[in-house]
Amino acid sequence: MKKTFKTDLETDPVAVIEQLADESAQAGFYGLQDANLILVEAVRELQLDSKADKDISALVVAWSDLVEKFKDSPQQTSVDMMVFLRSPELNIPMEDDEFTMLGEQISSDAITAAEATDSDNSISAQPSIEEHITSIELLADQAAADGLYGLQDVNLLLAEALREAINDGSAVGTTELINTLSGWSGLIDGYREEPKNGALILIDFLRQPCLTMPLGDDEFAMLQEQLATERSTNQPIDEHSISETADAAPIAQDAKLNEEEFSAPVSRDALELVDLLLQASEQVRSCLLEIGDNDSALTGLTQTEEELERFASVAKIAGFEGLAQVTAHIISNVKRFIEEIESFTIDRHDLLLEWLNQVQEYLPSFNESSAGQLVVAGLMDDQWALPMAFEDLANILAQIRTESTDVGSQTEAARVESATDEDVSLALPSDVNQELLDLLLQEMPLQTQQFSAAVQRLQAGGDQKDVELAQRVAHTLKGSANTVGIKGIAQLTHQLEDILIACAHEHKLPNRALANSLINASDCLESMSEALMGLSSPPADAKTVLQDILDWANRIDKEGMPDTDTEETVPATQMIPGVTVETAEVAEKEVPEQIQETLVRVPAGRIETLFRVSGESIILNSQAQETSRRMRNQLKAMKVQFDLLQQLGAELEQLIDLRDFTGRSLAAIGSGIDAMEMDQYNELHTVSRRMAEAAIDAREISQDANKELDKMNELLDEQQRLVISVQEVVMQTRLVSISTIAPRLQRSIRQTCRMTGKQSELVLKGENLQIDGDTLNAMVDPLMHILRNAVDHGIESESERLAQGKPATGRITFEFDRDGNTILVRCRDDGKGLDYGAIRAAAEKRGLLKPGEEVSEDELKRFILRPNFSSRTVSTQTSGRGVGMDAVRAQIVNMGGTLTLESQQGRGMTIELRIPLPLSLTYALLTYVGRYRIAIANKGISQIIYSAAGEVVSEHDGTETLHLEGNNYPTVRLMDLLHVPDHRKVPRPYGAILMVENDDKTTAVLIEAINDSKDVVIKGLGRYVGKIPGYIGATILGDGTVTPVLDIPELLRAPVRSMTGVYTQPMETFEPASMLPTVLIVDDSLSQRRALEQLLTDAGYRVRTSRDGIEAAETLVNFMPDIVLTDLEMPRMNGIELASHIRTQEKIRHLPVIMITSRTTLKHRQMAEESGVDGYFTKPVRDEDLLLKMQNLMELAAEKMKTSA
Amino acid sequence: MQKDEIKAADPIRTDISEIPQPEAKVEPVFGVRIGTMGILVSTSRFCEVLDKSQVNVLPNVHPWISGIVNLRGNLVPVFDLRVVLEEGAGDSKKRRLFAVDRDDKAIALWIDNYPEIKNRAAMHIVQELPKLPPVLQRFVTNGYELDGLVWLDIKFEELFKSLGSHQ
Repeated sequence: MKKTFKTDLETDPVAVIEQLADESAQAGFYGLQDANLILVEAVRELQLDSKADKDISALVVAWSDLVEKFKDSPQQTSVDMMVFLRSPELNIPMEDDEFTMLGEQISSDAITAAEATDSDNSISAQPSIEEHITSIELLADQAAADGLYGLQDVNLLLAEALREAINDGSAVGTTELINTLSGWSGLIDGYREEPKNGALILIDFLRQPCLTMPLGDDEFAMLQEQLATERSTNQPIDEHSISETADAAPIAQDAKLNEEEFSAPVSRDALELVDLLLQASEQVRSCLLEIGDNDSALTGLTQTEEELERFASVAKIAGFEGLAQVTAHIISNVKRFIEEIESFTIDRHDLLLEWLNQVQEYLPSFNESSAGQLVVAGLMDDQWALPMAFEDLANILAQIRTESTDVGSQTEAARVESATDEDVSLALPSDVNQELLDLLLQEMPLQTQQFSAAVQRLQAGGDQKDVELAQRVAHTLKGSANTVGIKGIAQLTHQLEDILIACAHEHKLPNRALANSLINASDCLESMSEALMGLSSPPADAKTVLQDILDWANRIDKEGMPDTDTEETVPATQMIPGVTVETAEVAEKEVPEQIQETLVRVPAGRIETLFRVSGESIILNSQAQETSRRMRNQLKAMKVQFDLLQQLGAELEQLIDLRDFTGRSLAAIGSGIDAMEMDQYNELHTVSRRMAEAAIDAREISQDANKELDKMNELLDEQQRLVISVQEVVMQTRLVSISTIAPRLQRSIRQTCRMTGKQSELVLKGENLQIDGDTLNAMVDPLMHILRNAVDHGIESESERLAQGKPATGRITFEFDRDGNTILVRCRDDGKGLDYGAIRAAAEKRGLLKPGEEVSEDELKRFILRPNFSSRTVSTQTSGRGVGMDAVRAQIVNMGGTLTLESQQGRGMTIELRIPLPLSLTYALLTYVGRYRIAIANKGISQIIYSAAGEVVSEHDGTETLHLEGNNYPTVRLMDLLHVPDHRKVPRPYGAILMVENDDKTTAVLIEAINDSKDVVIKGLGRYVGKIPGYIGATILGDGTVTPVLDIPELLRAPVRSMTGVYTQPMETFEPASMLPTVLIVDDSLSQRRALEQLLTDAGYRVRTSRDGIEAAETLVNFMPDIVLTDLEMPRMNGIELASHIRTQEKIRHLPVIMITSRTTLKHRQMAEESGVDGYFTKPVRDEDLLLKMQNLMELAAEKMKTSA
Repeated sequence: MQKDEIKAADPIRTDISEIPQPEAKVEPVFGVRIGTMGILVSTSRFCEVLDKSQVNVLPNVHPWISGIVNLRGNLVPVFDLRVVLEEGAGDSKKRRLFAVDRDDKAIALWIDNYPEIKNRAAMHIVQELPKLPPVLQRFVTNGYELDGLVWLDIKFEELFKSLGSHQ
């Protein structure tokens, strides 16, 4: 925009501004266009006022200069423009908020302009020095008008210096000078708000050589003094002071305008971010304060650098980009300090601390436009290893000024009305900070549980403490999620927090409907937490839940908190059945808040390695003990030999003494002394004596060696205990509290209650017990099934219960206990118990019983554990899909556990599950079976008796029975159990009998002998060898050999298999999953497939998935599901084409097909129906609706099949 | 306890330089001979010939599982594919143990000779595979003919998981 309008200025200033408006619009600066048009109106008003005629031209010139300047330094100029437009001279009839909006629009233009400038480094658009001089003179005039004569002086001096520079030609074409000057007006603004630092910065600016200011140091100092003092004496900064200074109305009003203009509203989110940054800055401070002497300087600076990196990272994430840039600059300085540690003086230390003080001062008032001065003040100081260049400083300052309105402002926007997919997205940002994410993942499960417990207490009554707790947790979660960048959690917790704050402010507890919504939200949060941990897919109902919460939040915004329910005001329809869920712990005591040790996240693989290595240590120790045992035996043998040697030595000595046949001859030689007169010894004497002594010595050495061996054995024992302790501790790291599955169980009962319309509550006892994580995961499915069964089959309807004098709400209790190495779960309900009549009728119908045949209740109970036995004539979608207790039992048995039933008609049923926990170490008996060496775990062995103690009798049918103390026991040989061929004509003799408890009966197991017994470490057989019936694993013995470790009760239960020498197909065993109804899910979205998969797996379906129609069609060639769920839009073959394909295939044409899509139009629905789709759901789908539809369609299909057959 | 001593062998080094370097593409693979077949194993897998390892036999398992080897503290199952090929168990004294992969993923195979390094790119794909037992057939992806022997590409994990399953 060139000044082609000069000629028009005098004649038609309005046209000039209109031209500027048009040019702005053409450039895409619509905010600027608005500003021009507003100015046009203002100028027209001024023209009507004859007194103002003289000023109009100057105003238009000033404005056009600003418009010109906008191109080069848009962000700073946008602020200047707003100052201009607010000028009382113009008297623009706009409210503050309108000015603010206009300012935002121009800022938005500024960002666009800055981007454009970045991409196009055109120098031609730079304003000239003359234009800068004009601006500076305008600033001088403004300063004079404000009574800031020091500031006026500074501006005039600068303008004069620039004119001098132009005159002497030194400033012509100096880009550096022009760039430098573009920051001036921003600094003036900064000075107006923060005179002390501002004055310093202004003087620093003027000292730059490129400005060639004709001032000495003294003069600069005087100017600085004048600037620093006049602002504080002339114009109070404090807003309260302004309001109190009524006499200074014009100035004060102006100041207030400025105050409001630059002080953006601060959202709660922004304050949280500020808190977070302040905490991080404290960490930096503590590192700095640790620096005491030269030695600690290096360490302290290194730590400071790390903390500053963290601080910069948090600042960047929080949106304080300018602060992050400054921090990056400080980090560069610290790095330089580290490199040149000798030059790190106390002054530099103070410099860092001072900067930190300023940052901490800046953060709480970051929304004030002048606050940014604090962060950059002093950065040009020569004390820094790398002083900041003025241009950088000006740019950063401009950045910070923009942020003052941006940070946290987004969340302060009006509450949205409807939830979108993006609002519930759990997607991580591409540049996610892993450290922060890890922290969130670590804390989130506990926090979601606390939140859930608090809202459950609120639902059951609760008090304000629960509201506060829930609000605090929501607040923390929101902050963490925002910091990491997980929008789904941040959005939901944000709305939840607002609702809970409203509760706290109005001192009202949520009514039942709101409490129910909060519970749904807490379920959703827990599911989101699980999804983030990778334990499950994201919750399918997240959008629905968020929408519900949004509706509540919006309603509360408009109408305030709803009144708390009284008994009379709760309509029956508002009660969501089954939501009266409590856990014993929740009911009995407050959940402690965040009382936990510091946790460390360790990869699971590392724990596995540690566990394996500790196991190896135990094995090595066993081998050392084995070697020691062999050494002891050898020492014993050696001692015997030494004893013998000693005895022989003594005998030899005696013989020599008695016979002395050689001594005589030797003594007589030339001595002349009678042998009786003096003992004389020859060499034989000496040698025999020495031999006897050596034998004694050897024996003593052997005894010493024995003692040493004893000591070594003690050490080995000690070490064994220690290593076993290590392994136990490692095992403990794999333990998980049962309470972690409580949310899933609670969700399940709520869902089942909704679907059946019954009221039930779930009470968990002993859920704080910790068990192996894998076992717990395997337990979830059977427990959910028992829960659904209990509600569906056990608990009566409300009316029935009331008629029977029972409470309207059914009660289901899951009690967890540990019994030895098994986990014991008692599942009780207070429903109607087993219907023996119905079981009998079903058994008779299936031909399992003859009509009228006498049968005990115990025997009838066993029928319901048989595969595919159901007493129900009509199955339901909740638990009766042809799968009953038989499936639960099969799952428990597959885990090596047992299931027993107890039922009292009309009073309820108890199901007792016993599930073994994984063993890492067991006491085992070692024996041989044929050529195989076997370790038998002591599990289930109640007694070991020797062969002579009882009598084994062969029966006519080839079986054997043990007669022992008047009782007969079924008997089996271990060899037969293991299918080890024995070609003897007579049975092998047995040396020991193991009495084994299994399935409420005792079986005698005959083994050849017990060769040894010891603790053994159990190891797996590698990834490729699946579970071998009867094997717990294998162990490495002291001599290095590997033997299988057997679980005899499991072996007794294992199906008889044929193990021939030729290839045989692996035997099919009882597979409970094969009885489940099957569903094929076809969707190209992974998250949708996973969400549906989890829902349907939890609901008791066996699920297969395909990514599109083609893949589904291929799957259907070999796999016949009971029902197909398909998306509409998919690549390669869409849902409609798939449905058409299914209807043309003879084999699968009867398959029910349900379409789930986001397409809501009638046209799509009609197309789907025409293609043969039986059910059409639009997203989001309520789980219950989908399950009900699936059940109905499957029943219908089954009926059709029956009819056609 | 049966102890089968394997007199063997050096660890295998994948020395690609030993392979002739024709102009055509080179795709080295390990080839191991088992009975009348050859099996190809990717050189990206860690492989070793085990020296004097004691195979500990197990009762009540499939006949093609010869037992377990204690390999540096990991229990490694030993498979005899000759049994799967219905060619009868070979003479373990003349055969060697070939271990593939490490830690709990490791398995060991009886092989009739030292592993050879082949160039898959230079092998001719067999249009029609010889008749194989169904359990093996399902997991064979390709067959190649070289030196008068058919070399099979197998879905390694799937095959051994299937052979190791006792359910």
